[in-house]
Amino acid sequence: MAKQYDVLFRLLLIGDSGVGKTCLLCRFTDNEFHSSHISTIGVDFKMKTIEVDGIKVRIQIWDTAGQERYQTITKQYYRRAQGIFLVYDISSERSYQHIMKWVSDVDEYAPEGVQKILIGNKADEEQKRQVGREQGQQLAKEYGMDFYETSACTNLNIKESFTRLTELVLQAHRKELDGVRTRASNEMALAELEEDESKPEGPANSSKTCWC
Amino acid sequence: MAAENSKQFWKRSAKLPGSIQPVYGAQHPPLDPRLTKNFIKERSKVNAIPLKNKKASSFHEFARNTSDAWDIGDDEEEDFSSPSFQTLNSKVALATAAQVLENHSKLRLKPERSQSTTSDVPASYKVIKSSSDAQLSRNSSDTCLRNTLHKQQSLPLRPIIPLVARISDQNASGAPPMTVREKTRLEKFRQLLSSHNTDLDELRKCSWPGVPREVRPVTWRLLSGYLPANTERRKLTLQRKREEYFGFIEQYYDSRNEEHHQDTYRQIHIDIPRTNPLIPLFQQPLVQEIFERILFIWAIRHPASGEDLWTFFTFCFTEEDVENFDVTNLSQDMLRSIEADSFWCMSKLLDGIQDNYTFAQPGIQKKVKALEELVSRIDEQVHNHFRRYEVEYLQFAFRWMNNLLMRELPLRCTIRLWDTYQSEPEGFSHFHLYVCAAFLIKWRKEILDEEDFQGLLMLLQNLPTIHWGNEEIGLLLAEAYRLKYMFADAPNHYRR
Repeated sequence: MAKQYDVLFRLLLIGDSGVGKTCLLCRFTDNEFHSSHISTIGVDFKMKTIEVDGIKVRIQIWDTAGQERYQTITKQYYRRAQGIFLVYDISSERSYQHIMKWVSDVDEYAPEGVQKILIGNKADEEQKRQVGREQGQQLAKEYGMDFYETSACTNLNIKESFTRLTELVLQAHRKELDGVRTRASNEMALAELEEDESKPEGPANSSKTCWC
Repeated sequence: MAAENSKQFWKRSAKLPGSIQPVYGAQHPPLDPRLTKNFIKERSKVNAIPLKNKKASSFHEFARNTSDAWDIGDDEEEDFSSPSFQTLNSKVALATAAQVLENHSKLRLKPERSQSTTSDVPASYKVIKSSSDAQLSRNSSDTCLRNTLHKQQSLPLRPIIPLVARISDQNASGAPPMTVREKTRLEKFRQLLSSHNTDLDELRKCSWPGVPREVRPVTWRLLSGYLPANTERRKLTLQRKREEYFGFIEQYYDSRNEEHHQDTYRQIHIDIPRTNPLIPLFQQPLVQEIFERILFIWAIRHPASGEDLWTFFTFCFTEEDVENFDVTNLSQDMLRSIEADSFWCMSKLLDGIQDNYTFAQPGIQKKVKALEELVSRIDEQVHNHFRRYEVEYLQFAFRWMNNLLMRELPLRCTIRLWDTYQSEPEGFSHFHLYVCAAFLIKWRKEILDEEDFQGLLMLLQNLPTIHWGNEEIGLLLAEAYRLKYMFADAPNHYRR
């Protein structure tokens, strides 16, 4: 089997109900956008392999339901995430204010060193804007996060923000990354990697290629 | 032999390739007609390569394959041998159909949106589908160049509800004429329902293998315990309950914008439009208002729960009352009756599964756990396969429990499923577990073929049920019944 990727990790999308988490993901993985969409129940799963810095990264993306009633379920997914998108809707002041709550959930449930990025989605809805760009920037700065205004509808900053979070996660794991890189340039090691892949690639036994 | 049948059926089922696939039930609502054009190009690029082996996994495939959900047998020659026509000779039937269509076309306001989608049957006799369906077919033909599709622009948009109503009668084999057996069954139902005191045990027995569409609304009202078995008491009961419901509305609904209810109402308001985007009926403002009221009242009297269940239930009731469907054509009275009856019947049903929807959803967690235990007993290989690749049952079965498989099955199948759930003691709260187990095992081959976590998750969150009809549900229920019989009364049998 040909090697499909060098490393694997998990990203998580969180934020209020209806801010467009599923739409962001659909745009990223399938390049599709639908203005009417069906609400997420619990957690959905998608994946995509992208190349960052010469490394093929397979990302598993967990798309969570924003509704409060599902939060017992969705919080179970924080633990294994390496990167988290915190999403609000620029046309909803309320969803912006709730970022505070989402951040504190992350602090509580996600592993230390998890990478975060703030997303103000629906940037195409300028006429309905309730949250200024500066407000987003300011909040991101406060929490030490990168910030993007995105639009799944017009495909604004989608690839950029996913790539950025991927880079951040890669950087945060630079040590392990160097190992992968060295081995990737070495044919013997490459074969070893392929062998790894024929085994289950769940989190427990993939310590070489996945940081969980 | 059933096993033989099911084997054949599974051959037909598409296996999902390991690539990224759309998630049915989550990411694939219908296209917005205003946006459609712009996206066709992109989509065709996306779809161009994997199309051949993508079997039924893209949204358009899904859409095309579920087009029969709106109009059974639309692509088949047997089109007019469907139950409603079976007693007529075909000429009369066709003539009548044409006339009905003509009448509909006069009623419809937006004929420009309409389209015909097939060529097998003379176009002028073709029944048109819902607007979303029309769009979807258009896309699918653009994307996939499906040569059997033939566009025709002159037909009126067909009312949605009668079509939706018919889907429940669909047979997987393509809507054959009503058999003698089916006729006898319908007679039996009519007899039971019209007797002075409906024998509910007998009604349950008859309903277990499926309720004929014609009598479904009244049967469901009876099975849920809402409508009294005694015919004399029915009218008064209905009147009283309907008044009581609208009493709630008067009492509470104005408070929806007050602070303590604001969150509840806001969430409902967000959720309604995206509950059933595939069904245009639910995009009608009047219908959305009904749901907002029903859900709001229920939510403030109970903890909030899955809207999917509500919308589904309500429109099943509309079948009875609506022949030419356009909600705005319905009398105020009729709409009010449907609204109130839906509220009460669904409340009764949800009472039985309330711990699914209380804080932390303990009922669901428990049921997912029970499913895991059950599967570990009945199919160790599948169970170990999940363990090996670290797939957790919660990752796929949460939605199965939360939405009673509604998101995993075509609507027509859910309707059929609920016929049985309502006739089975503790159907929703208990029997559903066995149905889920049977459902999972149905896919054992596909599951065992997947050899990584991603592949498994993609499969399990997008099980290809789009071709399913009564036949498959019948088999599924039979298997579930067998499992229940073997394990339900012998808890140690499946508890490790």
